[in-house]
Amino acid sequence: MDISIIILLVSFVILLVLGVPVSICIGVTTVLTMLVTIDAGPAFTTTAQRMASGLDSFTLLAIPFFILSGLLMGQGGIAHRLINFAKSLIGMLPGGLAFVNVISCTFFGAISGSAVAATSAIGSFMIPSMNKEGYDKNFNTAITVTASTTGLLIPPSNILIVYSLASGGVSIAALFVAGYLPGLLMAGALMAVCAIYAKVHRLPVGQKPTFKELATTTWAALPSLALVFIVIGGIVGGIFTATEASAIAVLYSGFLSIFIYREVAWKELPAILVKAGETTAIVLLLIATSTAMSWILSYENIPQNLSATLMALTDNPIFILLMINVILLLVGIFMDMTPAVLIFTPIFLPVVESLGVSPLHFGIVMVANLCIGLCTPPVGSVLFVGCSVGKTTITQLVKPLMPMYAAMFGALALITYVPAISEFLPRLFGLIDW
Amino acid sequence: MKPVSSFLEQMLAKVIALLMALIVIDVSWQVVTRFIMDDPSSYTEELARFLLMWIGLLGAAYAYRRHSHLSLDLFRHNAPHERRMWMNRVIHTISLAFALVAMVYGGLKLVSLTLSLKQTSAALQIPIGYVYVCIPLSGVLISWFALDNLIHPEINDTVEG
Repeated sequence: MDISIIILLVSFVILLVLGVPVSICIGVTTVLTMLVTIDAGPAFTTTAQRMASGLDSFTLLAIPFFILSGLLMGQGGIAHRLINFAKSLIGMLPGGLAFVNVISCTFFGAISGSAVAATSAIGSFMIPSMNKEGYDKNFNTAITVTASTTGLLIPPSNILIVYSLASGGVSIAALFVAGYLPGLLMAGALMAVCAIYAKVHRLPVGQKPTFKELATTTWAALPSLALVFIVIGGIVGGIFTATEASAIAVLYSGFLSIFIYREVAWKELPAILVKAGETTAIVLLLIATSTAMSWILSYENIPQNLSATLMALTDNPIFILLMINVILLLVGIFMDMTPAVLIFTPIFLPVVESLGVSPLHFGIVMVANLCIGLCTPPVGSVLFVGCSVGKTTITQLVKPLMPMYAAMFGALALITYVPAISEFLPRLFGLIDW
Repeated sequence: MKPVSSFLEQMLAKVIALLMALIVIDVSWQVVTRFIMDDPSSYTEELARFLLMWIGLLGAAYAYRRHSHLSLDLFRHNAPHERRMWMNRVIHTISLAFALVAMVYGGLKLVSLTLSLKQTSAALQIPIGYVYVCIPLSGVLISWFALDNLIHPEINDTVEG
């Protein structure tokens, strides 16, 4: 095991630093690790076979559909509708635009399922308009980047589908419902930072909306927000499966963007389909090679050994959860969410389950944790997009990001140590019976 | 090589759009048969799973060509032009090796193994081996694109990070 794990870590880090695509990085590392104990021929065939079995899954089917519906909605101009809605809702508070930004990013992130899309769609509108109102450019970019990731906890959420797969079948319906409060808690923590910032810098107050404005903006945003309720309502009510719900989301968002909002033309559809296919494939290749990697890890008993090592250090659940969170934060800095969930769930889940943490709760902790990693340098696609949208550099973002990290860590600690935040809603809806 | 690569890239885009359209129609049909006709089709779920594998693997080759797979771009990004071209060559060599051994060799082995075991899918009765053809096919495409990039390391060298 020792040699395998050294080869695994060393080759992974070297390949990653070189700039090899992460999915191929994971694949090569897997093959090299296999070669320690398995002959070359069988090792290659096993890799291919594990990749195939990783992709052949009914659970994963929801992913291309949620990506496609997110793209259709994103192209369909929901960004400005969400922003106007949020503005008439909370724009009149001190620092109102910052709150508007957080809420719009969270909703857009949830509906589109992509933090990168949220940052570019909401950020490219909100950052300049906040700049104009006298907010600091770097603060604006930092809040956009962090708020965009919170949407990933709020369903529909592809990363929770991946966790359902990695954990061996935690119900997607339960995970989806469990994500709401933690996602809103994260957004709330970021809004607290905005509130303090607004007080200190005496930020401008927006105009109070007239009743008519409130009514029109709500009416315009309603069909976009309705998507979340149709999809989640259907899944939670047991009317349809997550996959069926995702297909309905595609039909609904296609109908909305083409016929109601009229922002997507028929002739644009092929390009949107290709884009959705490409985005899906990027996730799927990560899933394929990560599945192969988790096979070789368990073949070499690495998860069991790591679990035993962790348990030998301490049996205090508070301390173990703290250690796991620190490890995941470090992992999240260097690794994308999807492989992190697929590779580390089999390692940590048995440990925390033996401590009485439910797989449902742990999934939410893991995703909340890895969301923070999306907005930390050096690997953080959301951060890069944020910098290009906000016309700033990562170095300049570090200072305004600090209080936001602190707020997110606070929210993460609450999510980790108060299971009720994740489990209350699923229990209320009868999705879990413990 | 370049014209062939561009042709392959365009073909892949067409095939991916087609497969995506098919998978949307397929799963929508499943919803319709279950809710409206109350007689869920048994083929649609299986077909959707197979389509997903093909989208995933052909899409992976397409994304490889377009350099849209996620990677840690920090060091490559900050390297001067000449060094970056060398890093590109190393990256494409490693990818080529992986595509050849795991996807083409391993994939073909997997296809022939599955075919010789005469495994067929439950609903559609398709030999599973044919479904797995997407793995070596994607491997061949990635190898081709990687070779093209080895010779022309500047193609699609997006450095905006």
